[in-house]
Amino acid sequence: MTYTVRTKQLTRAYNGKEAVSNVNLNIRQGEIYGLLGPNGAGKTTVMKMLTNLVKPTAGEIEIFGKKLTPHSYHLLGRMGTIIENPIFYERLTARENLDLHCEYMGYYNKQSITEALELVSLKEVEGKPVKDFSLGMKQRLNIARAILTKPELLILDEPINGLDPVGIKEFRDLFKMLCKQYGITILISSHILAEIELIADTIAVMNEGKLLQEVSMDHIAQQTAEYIELTTPSTHKAAYVLENYLNLTNIRITGDAELRIYDCPISQSELMKGLVLHEVELEAVHQKKGSLEDYFLSILKGGGTVA
Amino acid sequence: MLKLMKLEMRKFRLSSYIYAALLATAVIFILMCTFSLNAEMREIFPIMNYENWFTILDVLVRGTYIVFAAVLLARIVIEEYRSKSINVLFMYPINRKKLIAAKLLVIIVFVFSAYILTNLVVGISIYIVNQFISIIPEPLTLSIVFKTLTTIVMSALATSFLSLIPLYVGMRKHSVSATIVSSFLVAAVVCQTVEGFNLFSIVAVPVSMALLGAAVAYLSIRNVERDDVL
Repeated sequence: MTYTVRTKQLTRAYNGKEAVSNVNLNIRQGEIYGLLGPNGAGKTTVMKMLTNLVKPTAGEIEIFGKKLTPHSYHLLGRMGTIIENPIFYERLTARENLDLHCEYMGYYNKQSITEALELVSLKEVEGKPVKDFSLGMKQRLNIARAILTKPELLILDEPINGLDPVGIKEFRDLFKMLCKQYGITILISSHILAEIELIADTIAVMNEGKLLQEVSMDHIAQQTAEYIELTTPSTHKAAYVLENYLNLTNIRITGDAELRIYDCPISQSELMKGLVLHEVELEAVHQKKGSLEDYFLSILKGGGTVA
Repeated sequence: MLKLMKLEMRKFRLSSYIYAALLATAVIFILMCTFSLNAEMREIFPIMNYENWFTILDVLVRGTYIVFAAVLLARIVIEEYRSKSINVLFMYPINRKKLIAAKLLVIIVFVFSAYILTNLVVGISIYIVNQFISIIPEPLTLSIVFKTLTTIVMSALATSFLSLIPLYVGMRKHSVSATIVSSFLVAAVVCQTVEGFNLFSIVAVPVSMALLGAAVAYLSIRNVERDDVL
């Protein structure tokens, strides 16, 4: 397995207080890796450390298999980044800004500027100074700048901030395309669960500077599968009936009076009928779809375990 | 390095500052004419010969370009930190020390050449004017020309470095106003003239201040790789 980014016990303290503590990320080549966490969880600090803007107080970072040091300038040339708000030279036009970016990156395929502008639908306004752009337009330009040089690793800190719903969808597709067609590894952070859920292959959950969990989406999909929750005073009896008379196998007792049935092949009414026939008392029946949100909240509340 | 300097010039549209320098030259020329022709002014600044005259010119040019350099520092260095565009710049695969050095070099080269050009342009203009209206009674000899030229070049060199001193103050809180205000203080120190005596004329003063400017430049570059960019 090739990893594009690995961090070992990555820590950063500000005035003795740890903003990021002992974070171990393992980002595989060619995947979309979602960094999830509430505001102030330390996501941006991690990304700033990956781009050398902030130096770790302890721990190690490995990018493209090489250790990141303050002198690792050559590694920066293989990354495209969006950190925090879109920042440009406001008096220059969109095209001039991208042109400068190419010059500094040492990338001389000027055709790619036009391509990038088209990809983010800013071709029409390329001659306008950036100071006349709206936040959404700046964010689009920011994304254009990040992908302009076809980097191997894209680091995107809250890239959908300021975009409208259509734009969000557009960029979600764009990121997926970049990942699939060009094999670009993408590290994307957000505090919006639904966004990450839709594109990430692996998710890391951070809170208060700590990495709570690093888990693949496939694993979460199993965890958050659809289920029917029964509330009954006699859970064991219910379980017995379900297993032996209704031939259901995927049952879990989750509390004193709660029981969950996963992958239920029969309808809810048949289920209830079966239970009532065998004199199982029922207080409530709910059909539930566990969302990433439940999962996320449960990790945050429970303090989490490192996977 | 040359390429980085060109990029800086493109980024900050330095051509507009060339126009500003031309304007400053014109204003200095008008001021010098006023000093030379107005009777009341002639009493305050007695202009007997070319040496006096060039000293006054030099003081004006020096003051102008020290403040001018501070404006450039504010624009090219301080503003980049303030607007956080330095984040973008420092994520490029280019040595940060070189990036900052390129910025400072642009300013040094600009001030140095503008300083000499302004002195020359105003000097030549006044020489031409002098042919028609007598301002300076003394004839302009070759030895005066050489002496003046040497002084101008030395003084340009010193000024281009000492005008980096405000960077130290400005970088503390990334403040544009602090940079400009401190440049006025620096200008006040090296431009004040009391009864024809100027601090700048003691060789040790411009030399040590130029060294101080160079030290400030070094300090601002030294830790740039290690420091965090927040």
